[in-house]
Amino acid sequence: MDYSGEWLVPGEVGRLSTALATATAALAMVFYAWATASKQEEEARRWTRAAHGLFLTHAGSLVLLIGTLFFLIVNHRFEYDYVWKHSSLDLPIRFILSSFWEGQEGSFLLWAFWHAVLGTLVLRFAPRDWKAPVLAVVSAVQLFLGSMVLGVYAGGVKLGSSPFVLIRQLPENMGLPWTQMPDYLERIPAFMDGNGLNPLLQNYWMTIHPPILFLGFASTLIPFAYALAGLWTGRYTEWMKPALPWAFFSVGILGTGILMGGAWAYEALSFGGFWAWDPVENSSLVPWLTMVGAAHLMLIYRNKGGTLHWALILSILSFLLVLYSTFLTRSGILGDTSVHAFVDLGLSGQLLVYLLTFTVLAFGLYAFRFRRLPKSPTEDPIGSREFWMFIGALTLLVSAFQISLTTSIPVINALVGPEGWIPLLKTALAPPIDVAKHYNGFQIPFAILIATFMGFAQYLRYGSNPRKGTFRTLLRPLIAALVLGIGISAVFSFHRDFLYLLLLLASGFAIAGNIDYALSVLKGRVRKAGASLAHVGFGLLLLGALISTGRQRIISSNDSFIAKDFPQNENLLLELGDTVDMPPYRVRWTGERIEGNYRYYDVEYASMEDPNERFVLSPTILMNDRMGNSPEPDTRHRLGSDLYSHVTYAPLEPEPVDNDGFGKEASAEMHKGDTAILDQSFVILDSLHSDFGYGPDGAIAKVEVEAVLRVIHLNGEDYVARPVFVLEGQEVQHRDAVLDPPGLKFRLDEIKPQDDVLVIKSWRKVGDEKPFIVLKAIVFPMINLLWLGSILMAIGTAVAVIERLRLRKATA
Amino acid sequence: MKRTHLLALVLIALAVAAIVATLADAGTYVGFEQAESSPGSVVTVIGTLDLGGEMHYDAHKGLFTFYAFDKNGVRRKVVLNQPKPTDFERSEEITMKGRAHEGDFVATEILMKCPSKYEDEAQVGGEPAKASL
Repeated sequence: MDYSGEWLVPGEVGRLSTALATATAALAMVFYAWATASKQEEEARRWTRAAHGLFLTHAGSLVLLIGTLFFLIVNHRFEYDYVWKHSSLDLPIRFILSSFWEGQEGSFLLWAFWHAVLGTLVLRFAPRDWKAPVLAVVSAVQLFLGSMVLGVYAGGVKLGSSPFVLIRQLPENMGLPWTQMPDYLERIPAFMDGNGLNPLLQNYWMTIHPPILFLGFASTLIPFAYALAGLWTGRYTEWMKPALPWAFFSVGILGTGILMGGAWAYEALSFGGFWAWDPVENSSLVPWLTMVGAAHLMLIYRNKGGTLHWALILSILSFLLVLYSTFLTRSGILGDTSVHAFVDLGLSGQLLVYLLTFTVLAFGLYAFRFRRLPKSPTEDPIGSREFWMFIGALTLLVSAFQISLTTSIPVINALVGPEGWIPLLKTALAPPIDVAKHYNGFQIPFAILIATFMGFAQYLRYGSNPRKGTFRTLLRPLIAALVLGIGISAVFSFHRDFLYLLLLLASGFAIAGNIDYALSVLKGRVRKAGASLAHVGFGLLLLGALISTGRQRIISSNDSFIAKDFPQNENLLLELGDTVDMPPYRVRWTGERIEGNYRYYDVEYASMEDPNERFVLSPTILMNDRMGNSPEPDTRHRLGSDLYSHVTYAPLEPEPVDNDGFGKEASAEMHKGDTAILDQSFVILDSLHSDFGYGPDGAIAKVEVEAVLRVIHLNGEDYVARPVFVLEGQEVQHRDAVLDPPGLKFRLDEIKPQDDVLVIKSWRKVGDEKPFIVLKAIVFPMINLLWLGSILMAIGTAVAVIERLRLRKATA
Repeated sequence: MKRTHLLALVLIALAVAAIVATLADAGTYVGFEQAESSPGSVVTVIGTLDLGGEMHYDAHKGLFTFYAFDKNGVRRKVVLNQPKPTDFERSEEITMKGRAHEGDFVATEILMKCPSKYEDEAQVGGEPAKASL
């Protein structure tokens, strides 16, 4: 059968390029492996050249594949399931990008795309003798990623999920009548428009955060590939030299990607803050922590030698943890603990195979080469830079382990829970009740350690140091940290929380130490100061996080309802036009505007202290019939603190109200003598009276039936209501009975003679209820330190990477 | 003893501490009846909304009440002192943190799983928990 209106060619192109990309990745892997294994140089060169061609073909077909999918989305080809599910006609062009990676298939493609880009850079710029083994590993990873979007069934097993499947070809639609209509696209309204993009993702951060985050994920592959290449080719230490810039590149990009996610959460989501220890957030943070550790250990080795094992382990772990994170977020295993994970596409098995393969491969190779790895000759002296960097890296590893462990509770349940693989536990573990407290209990002490090491380690030289001079140089930053700490703690009263105070001092020390080092030792040479800058950034980030979350104030908290054992009400009720105290502001909700799909709630703020300080915040609710409405905050950004607010409740569809102000319809079917509960009142059908009117011909022309209702109201009073049902000819009329007070209206709506039943309807007077919204407002002090720190960290890391590359060129 | 060995020991000790703390902090998923057998202690109940039961949000008190079934099919009134979450009726499953209180379940935090809304959400987000460091 020929279907009309379908564009099948792009789908074919897409599927072919998927197959080509996967096949070339497989071949490139084999060729690169042969080149690596080959003893003869000439032969190796030939294999490498052929493999390069294959890898570039792979990258090219990947680009074609991505281009095709874009083409389909831009042209709204809703016959394709992916396009239908993730985009719609009214989607602005800037969000088309977001549609591309909203689904699993698209995000796999984005990930593979970055791998291909980074692989091409390696192919072009890496030292010649490293290209083949490194790209063999990259190609192997690409083979697995390609298979994730293949979408073929091999021997009854689904291999990957293709974004080029037509809706009518989906297994769940097989055999449905409309799939037999040649013109289904024109006939069925559902295909005229797509399902649309999740409203939460319709935010500018969402066009930039995922590509950066995925570049960060992808970047962990290169140090991993170098580590494996080093183990494979027996160059156990040499791999670190070319891998080092990549490791810091990864630190910078992945860190930026994670923080952009925080910025998105803060600007567009309504959970109130930039970080919630959500499993999805955690699983992207963990590989960053290990990569920071790996990069620093490589740095030690470059300068001093020694920490080979840990540098290898952490480099390998960082990539494996990215895979693990992918598994967690996409297999559906997070289910109950995170609402933000992807749904399972039936690929969790394949992902698990992927994860296990590379874990076994990498650690197998490490174990195989273990005896041949050079031993570190001596112990690092306690007063040396490398010793403290090493301790710092291990602290990061433990920190990553702790976060990973709690995030993995669903995995632990799947393994040893009551319904798990080996049922060791009697009851399933749930994530900690107070998540933030649980994580902070560990992570704050770790952060204190890290910040302290960061503050002084760079003053120490590699190797042994004279003990006396070192302390004197540290005096200046120590005093600065103390002054800063006392100042901040006086303003935000941190002196009562010991851990907070320590973190405050430690991050102040890290900031002061690195500024001082950059100025006094590096003499302000920017090129050399990348590390210092990044460290200052990290210190500021810690400080900003500490103050903004440790001293956040929910100013909408109120005592409108207090009950023993109840947490305080954090949401404030605002009735239209009323001025309400919300210290330090008086707030007034002035009305609602509708623009496009957004409903804006304008709330006026007037400071209680400063009569000139007046402003309006307009939090919104984004209306979306298909995916549900979602509130978005509006934040007032000031240098010293942010005021963040969102509407936690607003009656979106006002109840239908009559002209006379009655609403909240209720109805009941009653026999004579029955009692019904209508709108919190007991209603008893006492008796019925009927009256007939006769026409000129003597026939019955009009029937009037009066119901006598005894109404026992909530307030204890008794009332009688007498609604009348009138039938004149074929025409029905109602004479409603209004009781005011208590503000009730009754109607004898219908008579069902065959069942001997009456239908009574009631309404309540609602006209005098004022419209209202419920608001939550939080003050985040000093959150700008966090963003400033993030930016400095990114810039500092970039400076350091560029400097490393420059040095390498100079020595090459 | 070499310093590296000492370090390794500290590392292992910290890791063990993390495991122990995780197990200690980890809640358990329980039913309403188990929650009632230990009143006062905060637990996590997974359940579903009883669509037939009364659902009421009193904006003036800031209290939202509804009825839910736990996984054993036990039905309880649940009281939440937060506004009614958007699209609550659409929820497929509700995770409720809270405790039993005089025959009701007082929830302090609610997590909903919606069939459509969050289905394909991309990376990074947060649950409606209090954000902290």
